[in-house]
Amino acid sequence: LAQRIDLNYFKRPTALKRAKMWLSVAAPGLALVWLAWHGFSRDSRVYSSGRMSEAHAVLEAECAACHVQAPGLFSAKASNAACLSCHDGPIHHAAQTKTLGCATCHTEHRGRVNIVAAKNQSCAECHGNLKTTGGTTRFATNISSLEEGHPEFAALRARGGVTASDPGTIRLNHAIHMKPIRRGPGEPNVQLDCGDCHRPLAAQPANWKYAEAKYLAGEPTYAPRDETLGVAVPQGILARFRPVTGRELMAPVKFSTACAGCHSLAFDKRFTEGVPHDKPEVVHAFLVKKFGEYIAAHPGELRETRDPGRNLTGKPVQASVRVYTGNEWVATRVSDAEELLWRKTCKQCHTLTPGVRQDNLPAVEAARTTVRWMPHANFNHDAHQGFSCTSCHEKALSSTESSDVLLPGIATCKTCHAPGPQHADSRCVECHTYHDWSKRKEVTPTFVLPALRTGGR
Amino acid sequence: VRIDKTQRGWAIASLIMLVVFTGVYVAYAVTAPSGPLGGSAIGLTFGVIGFGFMIFAALLGARKRVPVWRVGRAQAWMRGHLWLGLLTLPVILFHGGFHFGGALTRVLMWMLMITVLSGVFGAGLQHYVPRVMTTDVKLETIYDEIGNVRKLLREEADRGVEAVCGPLGFGKSAKEEAQRAGGFSASRAMATTTSGAAVAAAAETVVLTDEECAPLRKFYLAEMRPFLEEPKQRRWRLGDADKAHGVFSGLRTLMPPSAQPTLGDLEDICDEARQLARQEKLHHLLHGWLLVHIPISLAMILLGAVHAVMALRF
Repeated sequence: LAQRIDLNYFKRPTALKRAKMWLSVAAPGLALVWLAWHGFSRDSRVYSSGRMSEAHAVLEAECAACHVQAPGLFSAKASNAACLSCHDGPIHHAAQTKTLGCATCHTEHRGRVNIVAAKNQSCAECHGNLKTTGGTTRFATNISSLEEGHPEFAALRARGGVTASDPGTIRLNHAIHMKPIRRGPGEPNVQLDCGDCHRPLAAQPANWKYAEAKYLAGEPTYAPRDETLGVAVPQGILARFRPVTGRELMAPVKFSTACAGCHSLAFDKRFTEGVPHDKPEVVHAFLVKKFGEYIAAHPGELRETRDPGRNLTGKPVQASVRVYTGNEWVATRVSDAEELLWRKTCKQCHTLTPGVRQDNLPAVEAARTTVRWMPHANFNHDAHQGFSCTSCHEKALSSTESSDVLLPGIATCKTCHAPGPQHADSRCVECHTYHDWSKRKEVTPTFVLPALRTGGR
Repeated sequence: VRIDKTQRGWAIASLIMLVVFTGVYVAYAVTAPSGPLGGSAIGLTFGVIGFGFMIFAALLGARKRVPVWRVGRAQAWMRGHLWLGLLTLPVILFHGGFHFGGALTRVLMWMLMITVLSGVFGAGLQHYVPRVMTTDVKLETIYDEIGNVRKLLREEADRGVEAVCGPLGFGKSAKEEAQRAGGFSASRAMATTTSGAAVAAAAETVVLTDEECAPLRKFYLAEMRPFLEEPKQRRWRLGDADKAHGVFSGLRTLMPPSAQPTLGDLEDICDEARQLARQEKLHHLLHGWLLVHIPISLAMILLGAVHAVMALRF
């Protein structure tokens, strides 16, 4: 065996051992060369923990833009100051008990993601067990996500045993308007679509199917507060970062764009046009003017012959003649027209209260149409335009009372917005704003072009 | 490395650690406002544990190089290497929150996966191949000496054929001349020479006529000797045991009785050469994965250390 085997065999490395040794030197060596190459080219990206977000992609190679090394320290971690040097981050609420660092919610180096879209856990840090510096809050205190703890929308919640109701005063029977409906005497039935009356704020008035040019051109004297509850951000509600486009919310339904096409404000058979859709005093002045002009042009009508054919008793009536002065005729005709308007035409939709005004005209209750049903959330109709209106607002098909709240409940939202790949995003940021942008402070620009691209400020 | 019930202790301990780590990670990932991050306290803890496992696994190499160290049994080190090395992958994935991160961390993640997967592959081979070696390579020799043994087999075959057919014309080395007294084969009995060297019994010299030995000479020069020089090539009939047996059976019918013992020796030599080729192949399979596993793991530890320092900085 001694001749068969060289007893010093173990002193001679085999090809396999040699390859193992060289590769064991070469692989770490290559790794060092790789790092050194990045080091010599002053490129620290190799140490990045991931790609930057969409908004910060331009800073991909500019580590020092955020990672500022404090004097005398080894650490160069990105601080809040680095974020705030470019954009302000107003606090959420004055009464909040926790102040979170920017990176707690906006985590960088997670790839080309939307860094604004914080995770639910960030919101649940406080809202999961909400506490305020004052000790009390009007908000739900245990919300972890849309699925966990989020209450029904406030507009739909019963309060004190009273079910939620629409504060609007315009009488409207949605159910009737959703069925084929006769537009006028001798005219065919029409089938209204939701979009014939409900369109975004930014919709062009001229494009409305049932708009009336006269009313579109008119400039009503009533104030916006008589019409709507307003779309401005009320006190205590967080302002959005991005401006509204006008396509998020539906515009309040206006007579000129949605009603005038069918509901004429006719007041006398002598005229084809209707009265203005305006305050009673404007309507009254219009009537006086119209009848005054008419009688001036038709003085023969001051002598009014009573029409025997109008006697419904069946007894023979002798023809009688009454001669008016001009003012008497106008006053009589205006009175008749106002009787029609106040008791029927206007009252069909508005709540009129007689006898409270000194000029004997009725008081018209403000319409108080709600434009923004969820002031704490940012719903966007435009993003949902692919869905039929009634698939969410299904109560519109059967609602007969204008006090019915036709806002879909949170369960409707949850049919699409839920966790998982088969669903739309359900994160808090989909609907809610964190920073109160009404409190934003302007920042002094720090970067200059083209220095940003070459590592300078 | 045998994956048998002796590994049970390590397997159970590793499984318990995996369950605990997974539980901690899930609880942390669900509640962390920014999601799981390597730089958080829990993320860093996972990183330290994972890197510790890597270092421990790498120290097996040092432990093998200095077997006299009194730092536990080599078997325990190997089991620790196997199970803690395997556990490193989930722990590091928990450290990074299943994000591969930037260039360095991505390279590290891939290196870790290659290292762990090659290790698992290697452990599987080390469980399976030695058994195959025992059954397939009965004449197993020291791997490092296969080349040397193969050369000696070739020379012995030359001598055997020359004893029957006369000189073949191959040059002889001084060492070979010293062994002229007798060749050897692992399957043949050995005799003690006056010098004390162990060699196989010398082949008896029976020189046949050219006509008689022509089939053997032709077969040896055209087929057997090239096979002994390059036994790993697939084209040889002698590389297959059944075919080789057929070849030698045919040759026996053509050769006179005086050449039959030589033919028996030659068949034994071919069988041993075939087994050495098989041993070589199995050895490459058994140890080849280390060409990936060791260099990548060393580079990974180096880059891992750099990552640890730079991550603390940024």
